[in-house]
Amino acid sequence: MPSPTLAGFEHKVVVGIAELAVSNNQNVTLTTYSLGSCLGISIYDPVVKAGGLLHIMLPDSTIDAGKAAAHPAMFVDTGVPALFRAAYQLKAEKHRVVICVAGGAQIMDNSGFFNIGARNFDALSKLFGEHSLKIHADQVGGLVNRTMHLNLATGQVRLKVSGQNQETILCKSLTTT
Amino acid sequence: MQELDDYIDKVKNLPTAPKILPELLALLEAEDVDSERVVRLIAVDPALTANVLRLCNSAMLAGASPVGDLQEAVTRLGFKQIFQIVAATVGSQALNPAQTGYGINRGELWKHSVTSAVAAQLLAQRSGENQTAVFTATLLHDIGKIVLTEAVEQVYAKLLEDVKDEQTTLLDAEKRLLGVQHAEVGGRLLARWKFPASIVSAVWHHHHPAAAQPHEKLAAHVYLGNMVAYFIGHGYGHQAFAMSGRVEALDLTGIDAATLPHLMIETLEQLKTVEKLFNVT
Repeated sequence: MPSPTLAGFEHKVVVGIAELAVSNNQNVTLTTYSLGSCLGISIYDPVVKAGGLLHIMLPDSTIDAGKAAAHPAMFVDTGVPALFRAAYQLKAEKHRVVICVAGGAQIMDNSGFFNIGARNFDALSKLFGEHSLKIHADQVGGLVNRTMHLNLATGQVRLKVSGQNQETILCKSLTTT
Repeated sequence: MQELDDYIDKVKNLPTAPKILPELLALLEAEDVDSERVVRLIAVDPALTANVLRLCNSAMLAGASPVGDLQEAVTRLGFKQIFQIVAATVGSQALNPAQTGYGINRGELWKHSVTSAVAAQLLAQRSGENQTAVFTATLLHDIGKIVLTEAVEQVYAKLLEDVKDEQTTLLDAEKRLLGVQHAEVGGRLLARWKFPASIVSAVWHHHHPAAAQPHEKLAAHVYLGNMVAYFIGHGYGHQAFAMSGRVEALDLTGIDAATLPHLMIETLEQLKTVEKLFNVT
């Protein structure tokens, strides 16, 4: 039987498009809606029970330096470093964080002109490769709109696909609370 | 055509024809717009009038004195914005309810429609296409879904199988299983509601803009606005991304693919300023 949780105190924090949030508050669940071709990237350090969620929209900040300065979470190359820096402030450590990724949906197109979802994931994979970071679990691509939740007490990551009723677990609980 | 009409006639809770929109569009087409006629047209409907005034006031800059009547609203906001407010009021009534057959929850189709319309209008600002026509056609592009949702609900397991296994678009799966698809049903409905031929055609062909000749440019705006809304995550329902890529939409609107990310950013920003105006939650 699972241990009782303080459900009454659970607090949902919504991470908007081109935003990020980190927390080590055990009552918080970070949620991001509207992952179309965008990517949701969660990181969680089970030792200090701290983590964050990032909702990037585009692969490359060089298309608009001004926007990147004002909203680093809009782009892969500025958002991911910002997410990690914010989590480090909460004593998360790079070698311990568990990374999950969801989103990057694609329309049916062979031309490559409309493949923003794939370009987002390519840019992320390249960046992670350069920093020797591994994705623990992902659900990327496909034809669906997704919602992603990160529970900060446990590190559990849940996904909800638009049009479906039940959620799936992308990453099971990492801590025993 | 008969098949389209049969589906439309079968729907129990079809919204009443938004007669005011085509009439307003016609008035605004005139070189010298008659503001008294615009006011008279809106004033016929007291609920609409109240809503227009409320939305006008929420659109006003903080500190501005509130608008007291329609004439003042038209003078201060201008025809284009008044039209958008009327379109938003009328459109949200039709598009806000859940469309269960498509897996779309309450409020989601409206949010998708507004996002698409905002994106398409931003595109029209670049291309020089008529912004009011682009906004209207894009706002109403999925109106056919409210007609087909019940029929889709009967076949949706099969529909999803088709999309998954055969990589067919939702539109083609609808056509195969129901004999009609939501774009043509929507176009037909708008024709019955006396919308101009350009808007009817753009909605009818919004998944295949080249077929909308001679209105293919307008249809291409609708197509790309719809796609940008999906990209930024305001597109909902079962296998929502199962639509074809149409490269010709770029040529028709005169933008290149590298412009799409900028359009996504601008749409997101513009949405923040109009969300309240359009009652998007």
